[in-house]
Amino acid sequence: MTTLLLTGIRLQHEQADTRHDLLVENGVITHIETAGVVNPQALPGISDSDEQQLASTTGEPDIITIQTNGLLVLPGFTDLYGRLREPGFSRKGTLASETAAALAGGFTTVLCAPDTQPAIDTPATVELIRQRAADAPGARVIPMAALTVGLDGKQLSELATLKAVGCLAAGQADRPIDNANVLYSAMQYAASVDLPLIMTAHDSQLAANGCAHAGAMATRLGLPGIPVAAESVALARLIELCRETGCRLHISRVSSARAVGMIERAKQDGLLVTADVGIGHLYFTDAQLAGFDSRYHSAVPFRSANDRQALRDGIRRGIIDAICSDHAPHDADASLAPFPDTESGLAVYDHFLPLWLALKPLLELSDEQHLNVVTRHPNAILCDELAPGAILKVGQRADIILIDPDAELTDLSVAATDGTTQGAACAGHGVSAGCNTPLIGIRNLNQCTDEAIPLTGRVHMAIVGGELRRSDY
Amino acid sequence: MSLPDPQFNQFGKLQHFIDINGLDAAQLTHILDTAEGFAGVNERTIKSVPLLRGKTVANIFFENSTRTRTAFELAAKRLSADVLNVDLVTSSTTKGESLLDTLRVLEALQCDMFIVRHGESGAAHFIARHVAPGINVVNGGDGQHSHPTQGMLDMFTIRRHKGDFAQLCIVIIGDIRHSRVARSDIAALVALGAGEVRVVGPHTLMPADVESLGVEIFPDIDKALVGADVIMGLRLQKERMRSATIPSPGEFYRFYGLSPERLAMAKPDALVMHPGPTNRGVEIAANVADGPQSVILEQITWGIAVRMAVMSIIMGNSEAARATLASNDAAARSTSA
Repeated sequence: MTTLLLTGIRLQHEQADTRHDLLVENGVITHIETAGVVNPQALPGISDSDEQQLASTTGEPDIITIQTNGLLVLPGFTDLYGRLREPGFSRKGTLASETAAALAGGFTTVLCAPDTQPAIDTPATVELIRQRAADAPGARVIPMAALTVGLDGKQLSELATLKAVGCLAAGQADRPIDNANVLYSAMQYAASVDLPLIMTAHDSQLAANGCAHAGAMATRLGLPGIPVAAESVALARLIELCRETGCRLHISRVSSARAVGMIERAKQDGLLVTADVGIGHLYFTDAQLAGFDSRYHSAVPFRSANDRQALRDGIRRGIIDAICSDHAPHDADASLAPFPDTESGLAVYDHFLPLWLALKPLLELSDEQHLNVVTRHPNAILCDELAPGAILKVGQRADIILIDPDAELTDLSVAATDGTTQGAACAGHGVSAGCNTPLIGIRNLNQCTDEAIPLTGRVHMAIVGGELRRSDY
Repeated sequence: MSLPDPQFNQFGKLQHFIDINGLDAAQLTHILDTAEGFAGVNERTIKSVPLLRGKTVANIFFENSTRTRTAFELAAKRLSADVLNVDLVTSSTTKGESLLDTLRVLEALQCDMFIVRHGESGAAHFIARHVAPGINVVNGGDGQHSHPTQGMLDMFTIRRHKGDFAQLCIVIIGDIRHSRVARSDIAALVALGAGEVRVVGPHTLMPADVESLGVEIFPDIDKALVGADVIMGLRLQKERMRSATIPSPGEFYRFYGLSPERLAMAKPDALVMHPGPTNRGVEIAANVADGPQSVILEQITWGIAVRMAVMSIIMGNSEAARATLASNDAAARSTSA
């Protein structure tokens, strides 16, 4: 495996003007030293002293030195909810396009949502995803098992088998289990095989055919509403069944103030409950739906400004553990319909980093808090012990991103490391195949929301398990 | 970037009429004043005027309708337009792609104006955003969102009888939640500065945050009717009567129906309105619907004038825009020459 030497890097927890070198060997961080201390020529097996690439007798470079000129180095992010669309929906995106987009967003690991076609309910599908992902030079993909066969909410998937082939969690995507008995049983079984559940609190009967938060905007637009109770009632059921079964329960994509309060109480009760929020929910509200703007049609609806504030407070106070992308790329046809008929979801990856960077001043987070929600916490939820935490350390797996936090937003499409251009389907707007985002061309959120929040930042390089998989530097 | 209101052309003039939200009092009053001019046409021997001569108006109805479609057809004919009725009431699976495809086919038939009714909220906005330039769109009702010509004909009827909206107390009774008529009426009343708008009904028939529309909610009809100048009933759909929304039509009538006794609680000259068709003995007593204070049939009549006004205004604005652009073009050409 190639050895990587990153020189002149900036570390977040160090002073801005100090520079470091970081060495990656066999996929693991082996040295983090003050700049100039690591001497590549002193490394074993290196005979030539070419300053950029030292070729071995096989023609493969043994060591790649990257002079970063002060790029900020961060642990790669872990996404607990990304829809990668393959198999089944490759018209919307492929494992190749979406894992490349994930890297552009800062994610080096993505927990792939199970709502593929077929759903991730057999080892064969896991294997297919694994192979396609291995062929694509993007983020590492961890399949999330479909909790029930075909996500139909009736029969349990082979959870122990799926865990054995690498599914680190199970869930129902956006298809809640209506039958409480099936849910109870599923949570018991998941507890017995120690598989964490990633569940969205959504009562499909209370949500009925709703497509927007039941509030002033849905009322004005005559859109069928999804009441807060559709989340809180389902959440109460999940929490009580968690109490009963002792399973590890992660509440995916919380949307309301009431849900944040319920999760806080469940944690106070000592339940093994964690939670995340989609990053869009920390910025957007139902006000954005004005004029039937289907770019903000989200399966978990954007709710009121009060709810948004409670979600932000939930992050600040540690009640909400993680931030996910809730990335949902779509083809153009998915949006060409009256609002209720459009397919829900936003393509988020291309703008995740700027949105995440903006959170730190907005929520007055410490560096550690800011990084924990996208690194240490999601990794702990997946029990991934090798992954880096908020601070990069020797011995951790080399999942690393190199960013320029002040870079102005531009076209994020770059030539992938295999030479093919990603994101061509999106007319050069971004890396993801999905154009269904309101953020194309946005430099400040006051162009689309009620708050003036400038967006900057770019992932220049991403290293996954010691392999350089994104570079536009 | 929030989406621009597709109702207005580049000169800020109405080119489509799809939603009362977004229009101010002056724009609404202009429609009412124009309708006033057409109201007389109905009484003439020759009832048509040549404003839309040579134009083709297509009634594109994805939902069943007799009243609205007939009223639009008559309005278009009185403006001397050719009328094409396109009945698209097919399966409920009519999805976006086919809607857009349908639109393209009708554009290829070179119609000048589309009157659209569709079961999904936002369908008229969608069509207005995607229609070929040069075609005007009028919303004949989209889902639970908007029925703006009904809203305007209600305003026309109220203004004819009551004059200044600022002095009026209007009570709207029944299924606000599922009613596009209620939303358009409320939007128009608020924009026109109505003194007070009250809504009455059980919570199951009220949308979330209904007060945000600018109305006051009254659970008790008897209290709501005190001081009312205008009482508007709404049609209660049959399927609501058979679900958990209300227990029965009988109970609804007992607690929310407009009976003669209840009507007596309002001002003596209060108007009784209803967009029709009425469920007699459910929303309204037969003798109230047919009584001296009822203007239900008048609403239908004024609907023709109001729709003539809307069609002629948007067509006129588009013609003016085309003329301006053409003369700008010509000026640019002569300058460059």
